[in-house]
Amino acid sequence: MLTYQPTEILIERGEEDAPVVQRALAKLPETPVRIVEKDWEQKEVRPEGKDPFGVGKRRMFFTRQRAQFLEHCPAGTPGLVCCNYLVVSLISNCPLDCSYCFLQDYLANNPTLTVFTNSDDLLGEVAKVVDRQPWRQFRIGTGELSDSLALDALLGFSADLVPFFAARKNVLLELKTKSDCIDNLLTLTSHGRVVVSWTLTPPAIADTEEHGTASFAERLRAARRVQQAGYKVGFHFDPLIEYPRWETDYQQAMAQVFSAIDPRGVAWVSFGSLRITPTLRKAMRHRFPRTRLLSGEQVVCKDGKWRTFQALRVKMYRTLTAQLNTLAPQVPVYMCMETAPVWQKVFGRAPGCDKDVARSLTLPNLGHGAANQ
Amino acid sequence: MATLHEQEKQPAQQIAAYAQRKRLSLTTLARWQAWQAADQAALFSLLQDLQCSENHLKDLLDWLEEIAVRDGEAIADILEQRALRRARTTPGSRNDKLKAVKAVLRKRRYPRLTRLEENIRQAVKALDLGRPVQVSFPPDLEGDEVTVTLTARNVHELQDRLSQLQQRLKDGRWQRVFDALDEV
Repeated sequence: MLTYQPTEILIERGEEDAPVVQRALAKLPETPVRIVEKDWEQKEVRPEGKDPFGVGKRRMFFTRQRAQFLEHCPAGTPGLVCCNYLVVSLISNCPLDCSYCFLQDYLANNPTLTVFTNSDDLLGEVAKVVDRQPWRQFRIGTGELSDSLALDALLGFSADLVPFFAARKNVLLELKTKSDCIDNLLTLTSHGRVVVSWTLTPPAIADTEEHGTASFAERLRAARRVQQAGYKVGFHFDPLIEYPRWETDYQQAMAQVFSAIDPRGVAWVSFGSLRITPTLRKAMRHRFPRTRLLSGEQVVCKDGKWRTFQALRVKMYRTLTAQLNTLAPQVPVYMCMETAPVWQKVFGRAPGCDKDVARSLTLPNLGHGAANQ
Repeated sequence: MATLHEQEKQPAQQIAAYAQRKRLSLTTLARWQAWQAADQAALFSLLQDLQCSENHLKDLLDWLEEIAVRDGEAIADILEQRALRRARTTPGSRNDKLKAVKAVLRKRRYPRLTRLEENIRQAVKALDLGRPVQVSFPPDLEGDEVTVTLTARNVHELQDRLSQLQQRLKDGRWQRVFDALDEV
């Protein structure tokens, strides 16, 4: 895995003493540092050249999050089955550079990798919501706008998050990653309430399209280590990518997962077809002109995103679901951003409501103690 | 049609002049001009045969680039394939040629989807319902809804059509249409 090395550290005036800033400065003593005003972005010339988004990833900016941290996962789009997932972001933008990453579209004008210094506000916000509704079960993830762990050696956010979530009986924290940066986690106790999950694609895709990430084998080794340390693990075959050898490669990948990992400690597995907005398609063409991911048989779906055409992606889901049912029948499985008819075709049933999906994922992992959602 | 030799003499100028005449956006032109010279010239040659708006041109650019990356083939070679050469000489208007060319390229770009569409077309044909009953599917088969439209001028005709549909349900031909939707 590539080591992240910012070209510059920018710190909003007044945040110099924040613990996360101090941790990062101690680890990056050679990196140039600039103290900037809150509105520096409006005055600054945006990165220029062929790849301003790529340049922005290497400028680390520490600031306070002034908006709300806790949000509903944006995958809850009308017409698609939703799993009632909540997200919080302590980092906006990702040090990794997957060719298919939606951030190339979503954060196209973002000139930095932004780190929020007020993690205590995030925890306060989460506590307000989950502690006031002890009868409800929640799943909260940090992997929406960045990899959850790729910068953990530098920023150490896991030390803030894990103990907080480990102490709460009605919430699961999901740390979603394509890295193998798990050393901090091994020193913490999760009480089974932290799920460390890996997004997996077969090595043929990981090696060519997921730039800067840990290899498939490294991810699996890391998953094994955190599982042995008492964490639940999860696996996301998302994006599921159609290419000439997809069937053999994905089946091999799935077989390798369950030969390395004890299925009893797997919180969930998800599948989700590669989905590309028209703007992302343009960005991918520009930044990764040799990517093969745009050459699959993708069509425009009702939500405006390109996906592998329905019959083929249903075949992909069915193939992997059948294999999962053989290897680890007890593991909860769901699909991300799919329609009820596709659920019906793949699983033989479509969830009655969003809460059904959420319950099928929280109940096996949190138990019945706080189940009356 | 210009010869390849002629095209190679001044392809850049010819393409720039074509872009100006067609009022192509700078983005589309830049994308085309980023190709290898032989690929640029081959597309230029094709466009001489077609009545092509910028949107159609963008489709061609997309499909050709995507096929080239997937199959590891030069765009000029893709455009030389026999089916495509035949499509370029389709009798009829330039618009007919464009349709024929796009159909050949789409088939190469989406081999399984177009095969599935063809299988469904065959299954619908086997229903043998005639013009008064139209069966249609969502664009690119994205979705499950099959739309059946009946046309009747009186109750008697309506009764006939419904009996026909009922018969096809009984003999399994409708089932084959729905089954075909998932067969890849």
